[in-house]
Amino acid sequence: MSSILVWLSFLLTVSEFGGDSRPPIHASNPKRTFAAVYLVRGSVSGSHTGNFGVFTRNGNDTTWTFVNPSSIIAFGLGYFERVSTRRHYIAAGNGVHRSTDGGTTWRILTSWHTMEILGVVPDPYDSALIYAATPWGMYRTTDDGATWELKDKGTKRWFVQQLHMDLRDRSTLYAVMEDDLYRTTDGGESWTPVNVGGTYPQVVAQHPVDPSFLCVGFGDGSIRCSMDDGRSWKRAGEVRGEAIYALRFSPDGTSLLAAGWRTGVWRSLDRGTSWAQIWDNPAVEGVFDVAVDPDNSRHLIIATDGQGVYESLDEGRTWSRAGLMGAKVKRIEFYP
Amino acid sequence: MRILLLSLLLWSSSAFAQDDHGYSARARHLLEVAAGETETSFFSLAAKIHLGRDLPRAYSILDSMERDRSMGGRFYAYTLIGTYLHTRDMLPDSLKRKVREAFRVRMMYRGDTENHWVMYYTGLYLAAQTWPNEDGTRWFNGKTSEENFREAEGWLNHWMTITSTIGQGEFDSPTYMTVFVSPMFVLYEFAQNPLMKTRAQAMLDLLLADFAAEQLDGAYCGGHSRDYPDDIINPLAAPATRVAWLFFGQPKEEKWDEARYRPRNRGSWETVFAALGSYRLPEIIYRMATDRTVPYVHTETKRVRNIIRFGDVRNPPVYKYTYMTADYALGSLQGGILQPIQQHTWDVTFKSEKPNNTLFMLHPFFSGRELAMFFPEEIKFLAGEVDRYHLVYTNPNKWNSSSPFEQTLQHKNALIVLYNILPGEKHPHVDGFFPKSLDERIVDGSGWIFCRAGDTYIAFHPLKPFEWIEEDVNWRLRSHDLKNGAVVEVGSAASHGTFEDFKAAIRSTKLRFDDFDRSLTVEYVTSGGDHLRFTYGGKRLVNNRPVDFRAYRLFNGPFMQADVGSGVITLRYKEKTRTLDFPKGTILGN
Repeated sequence: MSSILVWLSFLLTVSEFGGDSRPPIHASNPKRTFAAVYLVRGSVSGSHTGNFGVFTRNGNDTTWTFVNPSSIIAFGLGYFERVSTRRHYIAAGNGVHRSTDGGTTWRILTSWHTMEILGVVPDPYDSALIYAATPWGMYRTTDDGATWELKDKGTKRWFVQQLHMDLRDRSTLYAVMEDDLYRTTDGGESWTPVNVGGTYPQVVAQHPVDPSFLCVGFGDGSIRCSMDDGRSWKRAGEVRGEAIYALRFSPDGTSLLAAGWRTGVWRSLDRGTSWAQIWDNPAVEGVFDVAVDPDNSRHLIIATDGQGVYESLDEGRTWSRAGLMGAKVKRIEFYP
Repeated sequence: MRILLLSLLLWSSSAFAQDDHGYSARARHLLEVAAGETETSFFSLAAKIHLGRDLPRAYSILDSMERDRSMGGRFYAYTLIGTYLHTRDMLPDSLKRKVREAFRVRMMYRGDTENHWVMYYTGLYLAAQTWPNEDGTRWFNGKTSEENFREAEGWLNHWMTITSTIGQGEFDSPTYMTVFVSPMFVLYEFAQNPLMKTRAQAMLDLLLADFAAEQLDGAYCGGHSRDYPDDIINPLAAPATRVAWLFFGQPKEEKWDEARYRPRNRGSWETVFAALGSYRLPEIIYRMATDRTVPYVHTETKRVRNIIRFGDVRNPPVYKYTYMTADYALGSLQGGILQPIQQHTWDVTFKSEKPNNTLFMLHPFFSGRELAMFFPEEIKFLAGEVDRYHLVYTNPNKWNSSSPFEQTLQHKNALIVLYNILPGEKHPHVDGFFPKSLDERIVDGSGWIFCRAGDTYIAFHPLKPFEWIEEDVNWRLRSHDLKNGAVVEVGSAASHGTFEDFKAAIRSTKLRFDDFDRSLTVEYVTSGGDHLRFTYGGKRLVNNRPVDFRAYRLFNGPFMQADVGSGVITLRYKEKTRTLDFPKGTILGN
């Protein structure tokens, strides 16, 4: 297993930023898989609680270790790394959590002004610059969480399901909102709808090799893609299911994976034109994420609603349970 | 010497007023009962330690609760600090250290509702005040004492401001009101900042006055934001009744067993923090709660819970109307989705010694989209989650529901409720709750259903054919027409004489709905001569004048007045007034 690559999108962003040098990476750090667990079945956050929040494991272990803070509803994960700094982030129901010591201690960076945090996107160069997707809009801090500003100029609604930073330009971000996919090219100062069409966008993915190719999954189970940076969109091939919650490209961009509500997991090898189902389990209604190991694109992990995680080491031909049984897992990431 | 005597006189007068109406005896009784509870809770613990009952066992329970790492969150945050502050003089140092440690190692998760945040930030405020000048390594969230204190203070002030200007979101809930007042009892008791202490007192006055104006013999009447079916169909089993018993002396007997059978009996003991504290109900609120000599109309503006999706306004207004008499109350919200999952739009609640003293109708609606208006998770995922927590959300027989297909018009003792259910809805019916505890239930040839409960008379006219379904404690009136509704008029021996007189009066009223399927319009002239005309999705007319919800004040009635946005609430009883001025942070008057 090769050593660490950070969050895939950051790596590619860095490599293609004109004029910027690529941030040094701790090549010696072993890679871990992180799982954001929303809840464990039967547990109620805030009363008698189960261990939910963030779990991690090394390599291909099936044993997961609980990472503090305990008993938080985790929606997403984030990571920042520079020469002397590594920071893990959790987007949680009670705010943005940040650890600077690999997950031993955490600090909540947000205050009462924000509600749930549905996604966190740290800038890859400036550790003080962090974006957060919330039900009441996109918030941004430029002082490492001391203060946060709502950045919603140009948006028509509040709800931001997901934030995605463009792989070429760190001041360009996409916000998946209730009514459309929005884009900012000035770090959130103003937003413009891209007129993606479709009903209720849920998730956006960007091709890692051809970043002008974007795909959006919708709450009605459809997928729409654009080959021209979002200027025009057309419906992708049919994926059987009720809603799309996850869209991910493999690191080399050869495959596009999709999953959601009553979909199982699907793969397209032709940029969404045709799809083949690679995993299904009638007992599992929802798949929230499907992650591809950045070092080994044959290695896939899927995050399910209440059935923990499943794993394939052969590009989805065979699958096995990989732990966290009973957990509703929202997000899988590979971080140092 | 004269000053001293005067002071003593004033003090004794004040003490007499505080102890008046049996409050102190009830508070003592509450502590005795709670101290004897075997259920493990901070409330029973606080009562045990306060009364010095079986202290070794009490300490042992507290110790085990402190060792149970699975506990945390907002319920834990404020009850732990409340128990600690009430009992710390009696706690061994080892337990004091464990309580302190809990705020370092436990995640005091904030939750996602208004009551969650009140509990969380009250707990955080008092904890940060109790252990000041400590760095982030000493706190569960990595923030310093000062940061935690300022954040908690900021949100509590924000909540008090919006509650006193545009209304509560989780308003008037027979279950949840206890988790608003209980943190405020603790905050009032222990906040060292005089301004925060006064604001906590003003919030207690406001919440209890709000309840007082709409309570009848311990039951929280009319529409409310959210509650569980068990409490909706049996109002006197709800935790709010424990508050009414303690402060208003109503009902006269506390039915502890009704509290104990409930799986969520936690709500029944939260008044322990009141009984342990020094807050005393102002006489004016006691009078508001107990004087029902003159029937009155009381209206309120509240706010919809935070809408995060599928809405144009974050907190649209809720308009609430309650008609209160000595025998019954008829109350309603305007209809529509005002709260997810647990809304109760209207009811008649009547004074009774028997259980299930209420009657109402609803459309059992559910949808992922409704939930997604208020919760951030994926739509398809939400209905199952909420069903798991609230047990009945998707059930066609549920007794709590908000429906986008329900609208009301109320004028005094009469109400028209209309439904225009979209074809294809999963539950295409409406249900009426008629308790078996009614003394009489007569389906009259005139089309009216006449009910009697003691001295309360209820006339209910369904607009469409219906069937009766017998259930444990009630008859369910079910009607399957999508365009549907009912006309309700309530009377009593005091207003209408005998039940026969009432029936005769109702039979002689004018009710027109013959073109309802096309016009969705009902006209009704009440037995008192008031002319109501209501078109679903159209005008609400009372005596040919349109109802103007925009003119609703925050509170308007004989006992409470306030304008939306002012933050100044005036409580009134006869010649006495008490003014809660939130912007100034003052309480003036009796």
